[in-house]
Amino acid sequence: MVPVGACLGLSAVLFGIGLAGFLGRRNVILMLVSVEVMLNAVNVSLAAFSYNLHESRGQILALFVIAVAAAEAAIGLGLVLALTRNRPGISVEQLTQLKW
Amino acid sequence: MALLAGQSVFYYLAAASIASAILAVTRANPVHSMLWVLALFIHVAGIFLLVGAEFLAAVQIIVYAGAILVFYLFFLMLLDLPSESVGRRFGAHWPLCAAAGIIFVALAWRAQLTGFVPIAQPVSSEGPSPGSLAVIGTALFTEFALPFEIASLILLAAIVGAVVVAKRETDA
Repeated sequence: MVPVGACLGLSAVLFGIGLAGFLGRRNVILMLVSVEVMLNAVNVSLAAFSYNLHESRGQILALFVIAVAAAEAAIGLGLVLALTRNRPGISVEQLTQLKW
Repeated sequence: MALLAGQSVFYYLAAASIASAILAVTRANPVHSMLWVLALFIHVAGIFLLVGAEFLAAVQIIVYAGAILVFYLFFLMLLDLPSESVGRRFGAHWPLCAAAGIIFVALAWRAQLTGFVPIAQPVSSEGPSPGSLAVIGTALFTEFALPFEIASLILLAAIVGAVVVAKRETDA
């Protein structure tokens, strides 16, 4: 019923939007949210393949992606909290301590 | 008729999710951005329902829209990050962003041209729907039992790691 090619195209477009957002935003939290958009795009294509192949493994993979996204959110936001505590009002451009 | 209705629902959901994703990555106000991401997640859940992944749609709403997004919103309100609208959004790096996007689209188009991803034919249409809770639960606790346990370990490590990283230094 639903064309799988259209699902994959939607997934690619969403992934591209998330990628552009990740590279373009300067707010750390919104960069992390862009990563969530990209992970969601991947989930769309996994669900589309699962539907097309009549196979549940794709959806289980998508569940694992969601679990990893939750872990990434926890770690990322913990890092942001530690950063802003040490240097309040920080922007991404100023985070250069790790730069060779 | 039902086929046409399903397709039009799909195209509505796809257009709405693309629009909300674009709005989410371009709004200056972070809270507005979060709300557009919420709209995106709900529309993607609708797409999951449409492709027969009912359990995934429920998890998407409960975990993504319910837990992860609220977590992000908490952090936004906790931190009071400097507003992005003062500086230019998509600052000096926008050519790089555009180039990355274009390269991604070109690679996807190239892959689609050569067709090196063979889309297999549906195996069989009998049996329960692949998205049904029984099928997913059985697979999760038999074939995918080890990855499932590893996922729980990853979540535990993430929780402990977040607490350790964000802990206030008291005696330093």
